[in-house]
Amino acid sequence: MNKSQGAALPASPPRWGLGGIAARSRFTELSLLVWVGLLAVFGFIAVVGAETSSFGSASIVVPAIFIVLVLSLHVFLIARRFRGDQVLMPIAAGFTAIGLVLVQRLASDLLLQQLSWTIIAGGAFAATILIPRDLTALARFKWTWAFLGVLLLVAPLFPIIGREINGARIWVKVGPGSIEPWEAVKLLLVIFFAAYLEEYREVLSRSQRRIGPFPIPPIPYLVPIVAMWGIAMLVMIFEKDIGATALFFGIFLAMLFLATGEGFYAVLGLALLLVGGFVAYQLFGHVQVRVDTWLRPFDEDLRFGSGYQLVQGLYALANGGLFGAGLGNGMPDRIPVVWSDFVFDAFAEETGFAGALALLTLYLLFLYRGMVIALRAPTTFLQLLAAGLSFIIALQTLVIVGGNARLIPLTGITLPFVAYGGSSLVTNWMLVALLLRVSEVSNRMREGP
Amino acid sequence: MEITFAVLLWGVRIAFLVVLYLFVIRSFGALQRALGSEMAVAARPLGIAFLVVQRSVRGAPRVGDRLPLRAVNAIGRDAGNDLVINDEAASARHALVEFADGEWWVEDAGSTNGTLVNGETVRSRERLQYGDELGIGRVALRLEQ
Repeated sequence: MNKSQGAALPASPPRWGLGGIAARSRFTELSLLVWVGLLAVFGFIAVVGAETSSFGSASIVVPAIFIVLVLSLHVFLIARRFRGDQVLMPIAAGFTAIGLVLVQRLASDLLLQQLSWTIIAGGAFAATILIPRDLTALARFKWTWAFLGVLLLVAPLFPIIGREINGARIWVKVGPGSIEPWEAVKLLLVIFFAAYLEEYREVLSRSQRRIGPFPIPPIPYLVPIVAMWGIAMLVMIFEKDIGATALFFGIFLAMLFLATGEGFYAVLGLALLLVGGFVAYQLFGHVQVRVDTWLRPFDEDLRFGSGYQLVQGLYALANGGLFGAGLGNGMPDRIPVVWSDFVFDAFAEETGFAGALALLTLYLLFLYRGMVIALRAPTTFLQLLAAGLSFIIALQTLVIVGGNARLIPLTGITLPFVAYGGSSLVTNWMLVALLLRVSEVSNRMREGP
Repeated sequence: MEITFAVLLWGVRIAFLVVLYLFVIRSFGALQRALGSEMAVAARPLGIAFLVVQRSVRGAPRVGDRLPLRAVNAIGRDAGNDLVINDEAASARHALVEFADGEWWVEDAGSTNGTLVNGETVRSRERLQYGDELGIGRVALRLEQ
């Protein structure tokens, strides 16, 4: 068909997609949530059953509360006549269900806490759907976000409110508990980068001066970004959290590359990362320990010392085999702090390669969906925002799963939605809400009001 | 009774894995379907702008034709383009016209003879105003509302 003959088409075609009612009822979301509910129920019955050697009705209480929570989020979206994506929320809920099952399995005394955080995360999700009336307005306050981000980032370094746990000074005391502010910083940083790069990407990508094939960026425009990155790096060195530094740097590079299309920036950044890593290895004891443990965890001097956790994790992976030891039937409790650092290994031990593959596929689907939302977004800011947000989840998964499997040095990044931890869960659910908002903007634009 | 419990427990464990896989497959299916309907929406003309043929060769497209624009439009000699220009001076994939940030933009897709806006060569990506004349090969098109 010769498409250039399309002149005969009516001047203003009807702009209703999917049919109004089908889009409003969010049937796809509901049908996926049914599977999420089953996942939570079966997971809890298996884990509690193995622990107590009986099928008590007590094992149903937590999944029931969880199901009520996700269903109320679903009803909330329908009531708001929300027209965004219908796949991301169920996937995030699926991760959260697996996370709750694993907390019950690995640290059941923390379950109540994690369940409360899940409810708070649901609230944060709903609030993010409601509150920023106009998503694009976020871009106007970009310097506020940058300032707030830096403030949150340095907060743990202040004497009274800051707390050091397991050698990393990244917690802030709030009431009886403590939160990790940098979890929120990653969202603020992506919003800032998206807004900044939207404004200056023309200047950054079309630089006039080149040395050979290498573009020389217009220095004044790069300064604020590099400064933001430098602050993040410095603070992280003082807070001794390598994973967060790697994550910040990864987001920075990815968004710069997405905005400018200059592969040279990415190559230069990776080279800088290698140089920085080498310097850090020479200068800081905690970096040396991480790298040595990664390279030779089975050495006599390490395997019962700093390498113990990793070695136990590797044994757990090996014990899992193809189909796993069965939920509640493995020995993941041999791994120290398994509920926050090594949930992936614990899951892989008990559900095997099959379960681990399914989990990683879900992360891949999340990234895929996020990138499609980014591609369809109507403005550069929304495109960069959606791409940056999905990239956070992908990079976090890559860094922690790679660390658990001894592909790269181990860091204290959390496995998104699954690992135990309140701050992480709340910010990740806000991230999902932001992605949903971006997809809604595109749908409204393309399908009419 | 002990044995039946153990068997049941294994049943639940296997059911967990099966449900996990069904969830992954259903999510993938839902994603593909969503993508399909979104692409169908993207393929529809926006109905807010047209390229009106000012000058042409061999009558394809014909002078005076109003070609409706989508959100993203590939222009070139290949049949796979959204707007096909039947002129050997046009490249197989010549240029992209897209609607972003509330405005129209034209981007040269690495064409041999270049893309012109009001007679000037497009360097990488340039804004198009209504009334601007786009030159692709020997064909001239005007952006109109």
